[in-house]
Amino acid sequence: MKLSRMLAMAKKEVMHILRDPFTIIMSIGFPIILVIYFGFAIDFDFRGVKLAVYDSDNTRQSRELANVFFSSGYFKLEKGMYPEKMTKEIELEKDFGTIIIPPGFGRKIASRKESAVQILVDGTDNQKTSIVGRYIGSMQKAVASRFSDAAPQSPVDIRVRYLYNPELNTQWFIVPGLIVVVIGLLGIFMTALTVSKEWENGSMELLLSTPVKPLEIILGKIIPYVAISLAGSSLVYLIARLVFGVPFVGSHFLLICAVLIYIVASLAQGILISVTLRQQNKATQAALILGILPSLLLSGLIFPIESMPMFFRGVASILPARWFMIIIRGLFLKGSTFTELSLPFSMLVLLSLIPIIIASKKFKRDLEQ
Amino acid sequence: MKRVLLGFIKKEFAQTLRDPVMRVFIFVAPIIQMCVFGFAINTDFRNINFAVIASPADYTARQLSEKIFATGWFNKIESVNGDPMAILQNGKADAVLVMPVEGIDKGIARGGASMQLLVDAQNATKARIVDAYIQSIAAKFFTDKYGIADTGGKVRFDVRVLYNPALETSFFMIPAIIALIMCLVTIMLTSMSIAREKELGTFESIIASPLSNLEIILGKTVPFTIIGLADAAFIMTAGMLIFGVPVRGSFILLLLAALIFVCATVSIGTLISTIAKNQQQAMMGTFMFLFPAMMMSGLFFPIENMPIFIRWVAYIDPFKYYINLIRNVMLKGNIPELYWTNIAVLFLMTVTTVLIAARRFRQTLN
Repeated sequence: MKLSRMLAMAKKEVMHILRDPFTIIMSIGFPIILVIYFGFAIDFDFRGVKLAVYDSDNTRQSRELANVFFSSGYFKLEKGMYPEKMTKEIELEKDFGTIIIPPGFGRKIASRKESAVQILVDGTDNQKTSIVGRYIGSMQKAVASRFSDAAPQSPVDIRVRYLYNPELNTQWFIVPGLIVVVIGLLGIFMTALTVSKEWENGSMELLLSTPVKPLEIILGKIIPYVAISLAGSSLVYLIARLVFGVPFVGSHFLLICAVLIYIVASLAQGILISVTLRQQNKATQAALILGILPSLLLSGLIFPIESMPMFFRGVASILPARWFMIIIRGLFLKGSTFTELSLPFSMLVLLSLIPIIIASKKFKRDLEQ
Repeated sequence: MKRVLLGFIKKEFAQTLRDPVMRVFIFVAPIIQMCVFGFAINTDFRNINFAVIASPADYTARQLSEKIFATGWFNKIESVNGDPMAILQNGKADAVLVMPVEGIDKGIARGGASMQLLVDAQNATKARIVDAYIQSIAAKFFTDKYGIADTGGKVRFDVRVLYNPALETSFFMIPAIIALIMCLVTIMLTSMSIAREKELGTFESIIASPLSNLEIILGKTVPFTIIGLADAAFIMTAGMLIFGVPVRGSFILLLLAALIFVCATVSIGTLISTIAKNQQQAMMGTFMFLFPAMMMSGLFFPIENMPIFIRWVAYIDPFKYYINLIRNVMLKGNIPELYWTNIAVLFLMTVTTVLIAARRFRQTLN
């Protein structure tokens, strides 16, 4: 293996990239859009959920109940006319739900009896429904304290301390994790086509007839993309720190190590797709499926892996993205040390080696044929 | 003209479907995606790693801890030497409840016990939920144990979830997956197929052939429209069989909507191909459209909470309307008001994209 030949290969690839505005836009624009979107747009807190109130009791107590909902800030109340119309409003997405206060509600409350209030909610959007369900649950407490003379005082109080993210800032959790998505997607996307393009256009034969060795070709092709992915992740890091004020309490050295390993791992995956499929249209489909699904859905970025069924937890565990995510979050917010991260680190290295080894083996075998 | 066009369409079909790998991408990959979305994705928090630190002699603490673990939301984690911070720091535990050293009963006898709940709050949503779970379990436990009298009239909320009472994730996800996969397959196939001809130089020979411009456009788009529709029907059937997702509305209305949507996605694919010079650019173009479109559709995150400028992007996202339409027809049934509003918006978008795409495509041809 000769360094100069590898560098020449890298130089050729750099020229390809520079000539192609799409790649440059993608490598700079994509991280920025991603961070802005996730940083500003994601908010699982709903305000002003529209609920209609059908109050067939119309007493001081029933109005007070409605008021508890209204003053929480979560709900926006509307007066409902009659129940059939209100279900229709839910159907037409005008209201999210309906509170139906039965006649005699006030009397029951006044005589210290239990009274049931029916709440109908729209179930077509699961996510929203479960969040609103949680809000309704929290209303229960507020309502109880409103209607009892003295709120039941528990003799034991539980003091909560939120560690690592005391202000419960969702962005602190999401934004650093985007490094995983940026590297994963950029790496796989960009490299998935580089080798297949050469095969398809017939220039691979040409390259092979030169004294450049297969390994030099692969490495030469990878190097520029390592630089691009590194730039993309630095961009995310800077935005996270400067714009969103996410603290970084861990070691930068560990961060750089992890980032480099993961970059190589995802580039190797891209090369593997490229080498295996040889045709760009297939490589693209594979890259989209292998690129989006793991890093976005199975990495734990948003959807908790622990809540997944056994099988998918297993699948997530053999994806480097998942382990890299643990490392990134540990370093940013917790300041984890290397010993604490030894399992994720070793898994990351192990899982990264697999695509690299397979890709170079496969590439070599293909050439010998 | 008819025969030439048919031949052209046949060629496109053959080129796309003859390859086993391509067939896998078109028909098997969607099923895998559907399973990931339908089974794996969940916004509930389960299997929370939880540790309780209490003195061994504290009987009440043990009872409370049993109550907590009996809910099934928590995995029991043993603490090392009673140090809560160690297991939180190394990530073994998500939350630790530290009971008073003297014991709960003694604490109460002295006028009020207090315990500390330490929560790893990296994920704010999860932290809040863990807190709420524990507080409510503990409150119920102490009320039962010490018989604190309820002083007031209780209000019981009887919440009924309409359309999806069990809140099945798949009911919510499958409609979105149908849209996603139709989009993925059609945009990608269309843009790549034209870009490929351009890259290999065969596009010139198509132009030089006696086909008219309209025939070239139709020949390049009709096959992918059909494949997209077939895929949609295929996934819908699979969704019904595997996940038992209901289709309460009319199948024909769904197909009509699918047809309109597919025309839009195919013309977006064509549009991308007129800009892209080669397949790599076509792919990136596809991705640059698809990714934001998916993110803004409300599939993963609620649109209502987004800042105004991002919400505006969501309003021009065909995905949003199509997903909303399928979801309504599948879960709620035929609701003409909603259906036709969504169809009208989609139709408008489709006409716009088809016109732009056709114009740009003609320019490339000339």
